[in-house]
Amino acid sequence: MTDQGAVNSVPHGEVLMALVEAVHVGEDAAMAEARRAVREALGDAAFVDACATIASFSAVVKIADGAGIPLEDYKEEATRDMRAELSINEFQS
Amino acid sequence: MMEIGVAGELLPIRESLAREVEVAWGRLASPGTWWTGSERLAIAAEARHAKNCPLCQQRKAALSPYTAAGEHDSTSDLPPAAIEAIHRIVTDAGRITERWILSLIEGGEMPVLEETGYVEIIGVIAVLTGLDKLYQALGLPPRDLPGAIAGEPSRQRPQGAKRNLAYVSTLAPEDVGPEDPNPYPVHGDKNIHRGVSLVPQEVFNFFDLDVELYLKDHEIRDFEHDFRAISHAQIELIAGRTSALNGCYY
Repeated sequence: MTDQGAVNSVPHGEVLMALVEAVHVGEDAAMAEARRAVREALGDAAFVDACATIASFSAVVKIADGAGIPLEDYKEEATRDMRAELSINEFQS
Repeated sequence: MMEIGVAGELLPIRESLAREVEVAWGRLASPGTWWTGSERLAIAAEARHAKNCPLCQQRKAALSPYTAAGEHDSTSDLPPAAIEAIHRIVTDAGRITERWILSLIEGGEMPVLEETGYVEIIGVIAVLTGLDKLYQALGLPPRDLPGAIAGEPSRQRPQGAKRNLAYVSTLAPEDVGPEDPNPYPVHGDKNIHRGVSLVPQEVFNFFDLDVELYLKDHEIRDFEHDFRAISHAQIELIAGRTSALNGCYY
C-alpha cells in the first residue's frame, strides 16, 4: 500500500509514516518521539492535521467492515490487478 | 485557528475541526434513533473496554473467530447480542461476515438484536474511534465520556431501505423518503456514505466529524488546492498506511 518509493516521494513521508506506525502500535515512548519529529519537520498545524487523518482512517474502517459495503465499480476496476496479485478476492464471506 | 492544550502546550487546531469534535461528543451522549443517550454511552464504554477482553484476544489470535467460545469481559448491561457486536466491531472487524451479522439480527443463539440497533452501534463505534484516535495521536489521554442527555430514540426506520448493497440494509439516494433525514446532498452517496444509512442520522453523525478529520467529498480530488496544513500527497500517504495497518481494503 505504501512502499518505500511512495514514502520517499512525499515530503517528510518518513516522519509521517513513523507517526502512523507509532500510533497504531500505541507504545508511549515511540509515539512521543514520532510526535516530536513531525512537529519539528512540518510544524504544529501540520501535526494536528496528520493526527486528524490518522483518526479518520482508523474510524472509517469500522463502517466499511461493520456494514460489509462493497467496493464501487470504479474502484474495483482500478484495483483489479493489485487484488489479483494479493489474492484478496479469496477472502470473501 | 483555535488552540488545543496538549501536555502543557497550545497547538493550533482548525476551528471547524474543534467544533465538530465537540458536536460529536454531544451526539454520542444524545438520544439516537434506536438507542437512548445512556445506552449510546454504554455502547461507547463497552467499546473502550473490549480492547482488553480475553475472549476477543483469543478469537483474534485464532485462525477462525468462531472456534473460541466463552463470555466477553463486559462492563455494561447491554443485551448479549449487542455486546457481541460491539466487541467484534472493535477488535476484529475485518473478519465480520454477513452470516455473523444475520446470526445476531435474526436471532441465532442469542436474543435478537434489531438490524437498526446493530447499524447504530457501528455508527457510535466509528465516531468514538475517530475521537479516541485523534486524542491518542495528539498525545491527549482518553476523554471521559460525557453525561447522558435524556430523551427517547426517534425510532424512525426508512421505508425505502433494502438489503441489496451491503451485509446490512441501506438506503439508496433514490429511495430517501420525505420523512427521512437525507445526508447525501451534504456528504455524497458513495458506498461508504451508504454503509450506516439504515440509520440516516448516523451518516450525519460520522461524516460531519470525518470531513473535518479528513476532507469533504469534493475536496478529495481537488488537487489544485490544499485544504489542510499537510498536502494531498501527505494526507493520502497517511490514509493509505493507516488503512493498511487496520486491514481496511475498502
